[in-house]
Amino acid sequence: MIDAVAALGPAAPGTLAQVDAGTVVSVLVDGLSKAAIYVMIAAGLTLIFGLMGVLNFAHGSLTMLGAYAGGLVLVVAISSGSGALTRLAVFFAAVVAVFAALTAVGAALEVTLVRPLYDRPPLYQILLTFGLTLIFDEFARMVVEFYGLQPRSAWQEAVGTKPEFLAESNAYDVAGAPVVGLDLFEIVLGVVTVAAIWGFLTRTRYGLYIRAGSEDAEMAEALGINIRRAFTVVFGVGVGVAGAAGVLLAWDTAWGASVPLGAETLLPAFVVVIIGGLGTFRGTVLAALLVGMVDGLMTYVFNSGIVEFPGLPELTVFLTLVVMLIVRPQGLAGVEEVGGH
Amino acid sequence: MSATDDAATGAEDAPLLDIEDAQTYYGESHVLQGVSLSVDRGETVALVGRNGVGKTTTLRTALQLTPPRTGTVRVGGVDVTGDPTHEVATRGLGWIPEDRRMFEQLTVDENVRVAVTDTDAVDAKRELAYEAFPDLRELRDRKTGNLSGGQQQMVAIARGLVGDNDLLLVDEPSEGLAPQIVEAVAEALRTVAEDAAMLLVEQNFPLAMDLADRFYLMDGGKIVHEDTTEGVTSDDEMIRRYLGT
Amino acid sequence: MPPDEVTPADGDAAATAETPADGGGDDGGLSFDDDPWYRRYLRESSVHLVVILLFAAYPGVYAVLTHPSTPGNVEMVYLLPQVETMIVVLYFGLFAMSFDFISGYTGYLSFGHAAFFGVGAYFVVLTANGKVPLLASGTPFMISLLVAGVLAAVLALLIGSVSFRLSGVYFAMITLGVAQVLYVLFSNWGYVGENPRDGVAVGGSHLEGFDIGIPWIDQLNLTIGAFQGDTVQGLLGFLNFSTVEVSYYMLGVIVVLSYFTMQRIVHSPFGRVMIAIRENEERARAIGYDVFRYKMGAFAISGFFGAVAGALFAGYSRSVSPDGSFYFLVSGDALLAAIIGGFGTLGGALFGHLFHEFLREFLSKEGSGGGLLPYLRDVLSDSLLSTELYNGFTVGEFVETFLNGHAALYIGIVFVLFVLYVPNGIVGTARAYVGGTLAKQVPARFRRGGGDG
Repeated sequence: MIDAVAALGPAAPGTLAQVDAGTVVSVLVDGLSKAAIYVMIAAGLTLIFGLMGVLNFAHGSLTMLGAYAGGLVLVVAISSGSGALTRLAVFFAAVVAVFAALTAVGAALEVTLVRPLYDRPPLYQILLTFGLTLIFDEFARMVVEFYGLQPRSAWQEAVGTKPEFLAESNAYDVAGAPVVGLDLFEIVLGVVTVAAIWGFLTRTRYGLYIRAGSEDAEMAEALGINIRRAFTVVFGVGVGVAGAAGVLLAWDTAWGASVPLGAETLLPAFVVVIIGGLGTFRGTVLAALLVGMVDGLMTYVFNSGIVEFPGLPELTVFLTLVVMLIVRPQGLAGVEEVGGH
Repeated sequence: MSATDDAATGAEDAPLLDIEDAQTYYGESHVLQGVSLSVDRGETVALVGRNGVGKTTTLRTALQLTPPRTGTVRVGGVDVTGDPTHEVATRGLGWIPEDRRMFEQLTVDENVRVAVTDTDAVDAKRELAYEAFPDLRELRDRKTGNLSGGQQQMVAIARGLVGDNDLLLVDEPSEGLAPQIVEAVAEALRTVAEDAAMLLVEQNFPLAMDLADRFYLMDGGKIVHEDTTEGVTSDDEMIRRYLGT
Repeated sequence: MPPDEVTPADGDAAATAETPADGGGDDGGLSFDDDPWYRRYLRESSVHLVVILLFAAYPGVYAVLTHPSTPGNVEMVYLLPQVETMIVVLYFGLFAMSFDFISGYTGYLSFGHAAFFGVGAYFVVLTANGKVPLLASGTPFMISLLVAGVLAAVLALLIGSVSFRLSGVYFAMITLGVAQVLYVLFSNWGYVGENPRDGVAVGGSHLEGFDIGIPWIDQLNLTIGAFQGDTVQGLLGFLNFSTVEVSYYMLGVIVVLSYFTMQRIVHSPFGRVMIAIRENEERARAIGYDVFRYKMGAFAISGFFGAVAGALFAGYSRSVSPDGSFYFLVSGDALLAAIIGGFGTLGGALFGHLFHEFLREFLSKEGSGGGLLPYLRDVLSDSLLSTELYNGFTVGEFVETFLNGHAALYIGIVFVLFVLYVPNGIVGTARAYVGGTLAKQVPARFRRGGGDG
């Protein structure tokens, strides 16, 4: 995330004296694009915790794997001569493919590794997913090094496959402020993701099962709903969404596919999920907006020299978490009882 | 009646629910110490006894929410002991639990819809529920968390109605409700009893005797007496002894 | 979990709960009360003493086994962890034990435990650099270590005062959040050093090493540090210790003292309440314990020793970085160690980390004290190593790609296997096998074997 700050130089102009419409637009766009990223990273985590009460520590690593997998598709299918439409098409194909693949992976993980632990105290599921993080991170490092890439830095080749009109160097003028196309793209994707998940939860029968099971899994079972299968489906989909978020990050210079991406996305995801209220999707969306805007605002504050502390955005985000937990632990939209088996 | 017949569909005249010598534990706590009972098609059976004797546990054992360590549970002649609860539920067992267990963030409409097991006829079943309980139609878009106790109880009973249930396991329906509401609830239960058998746990003894055809009396995790409800009152010596009034 | 059930990991609790006086029922029915107190103390501590002796003998054993004139010394170099690595096992093992003290015994997971490690390490280094107000650069290490511990305990109380009102998950998240705040702070705060992200080293104002011993009394002090430390020559006429070995022993003293302190607490009435809180907090509260006070106390103690571990680390390495102290993966390593060793066994955490470091060194890239590849290179023939497995990919390359430097993968796999199949960890499973703590049961078994009339 510190890299994120540095890379955002062009987006935040001026000093305190120059707070004009352009600055506002700039900070707004920056904040909203960050919110979009946070919501995509955190959505899967919330779904899983809401229904199953499992805090999936491997969430960040799965996003990282999705980023590399998506990056691979992008690098292989896009050449320097590819047109903008081709690139977008490949991108969306990658998102769908990674989503499908990681959903399958998630379902397999749930059935083989998580399920045996349901009768044990919840601690063990957290431990298991933590162990998976170690395995995934190191495995990715192995593969990446084998192919000659630098594991700790972003996969530049993948970042470079995005079309010209989305490149960070190509900023559009909106109300006097430079707005990066990629930010708008991210905002659109964020909205689409939220709408898709929301629609799934509120308008489909399975979504109804999940919402009921999130509140009272036992009662849902007594009504004939196969909660165990719902667990598998939700775990799979949660992981799939995490992976899809990774594909998007592969195009973002501030993030990019790298092995540390796992840790870099896990912590903000936790922050968002907890501030929003463990297990509520609406809360996650609200919290992502809050945290995204706080991050964007603090980035501006640092970039414009008002406060000269490079870690300001990160610090504020974590402080928000701590304050929220003290003042309102159930989160912005939290319900008192969460999850269950 | 061959073994394969039994496993597949069960005999036609088998009791809807047949519990045989169930021993159920919560951890190391031996709650049911050999409970045997049965409920046939069309009848309403009451399960009475003091607090803590294991009435709720008996219902939970029937549904395999808390499966018995030993003993068998048969639904429609089919052995379901140890089966996952959702499978037992789809065999025609419905649960109207203590505390109603509403999905509070879901609306009345959603609570009813989620209980429908015949997914091809969701709307039809829902209409059935609203016809039986017209008040619910007006409340359909309200979150059940915002309803009164009596209204929630109606929703719970409606859930039992739409689930294609042959037998309803009803736990303390009148608990915490004012007398007029209790009467409305009783009326609702009579309505559903027209189409389904019922195993009713109820502390309100006169209400239980009024609704039920037969009753079992429980104490210390066992059934200690069973009889028809005809002419039984709370003044009877045995009732007084076990219900401790 | 029903309150009456006792898990193997707290065989202690069952034993001490049933037998208020030591030497009761779990001695297999034999009466030892007629033994003089020193005999009894020796017997009860025998397992601990053996373990300490093994650790104490290690540098010597290592030196002997890897001596050029010893047969098989080449294999030993590759297999056995270096003494430097054992030093890491000592201080990080202490950190892992302090983690187990709170998380394993009260059930409250301290995901941000790295905060205490960082406080301890940074405090020592900053004091030495003269950047801590009220403390001179020349403050004896033992003093700054103690102050760091107290500071960490205060931090623990602050965190606990707000987070112990909430359930376990929230407590874990708050501690994580606080540790991350500190991480970001120390990564960017210009006051601590030139390049805070890279960490801080003990600078020119403090050229001498850090001393462990009784402050200000020269004869009772030995300096630790890989390069600045004291060496000891001619002890008992023939023993010589290098700086690394001296550091090993002096750190060992602190670690042993810390361990015994925590162990005494865990086996005391205070410890029993901690365990009761883990098993069923509501019940403990109902019985009448002020669980909040106990949780605070336990957390403060765990924070104290976590900082001591960090201070030892800084005292030896003479530098500290945010990634190596405050980062949440540091807490993760402690969690790893505690699970593999055995949650709620205290000593198990150290052994869990020993296993981790052993594996890491064994699979480390060449030059870091061993390695599978150099070993295989020496043992297997060149032609076998260059045998092609697939598409020009040799055996040697296979080892290099998949094994060397990737201990983290295998530790992760071991960890997952432990979570699934050995949830009580090494020591926990051993305790279940012997039916109580190893300290009590092993001597009892020996006695039973030989002492029957």
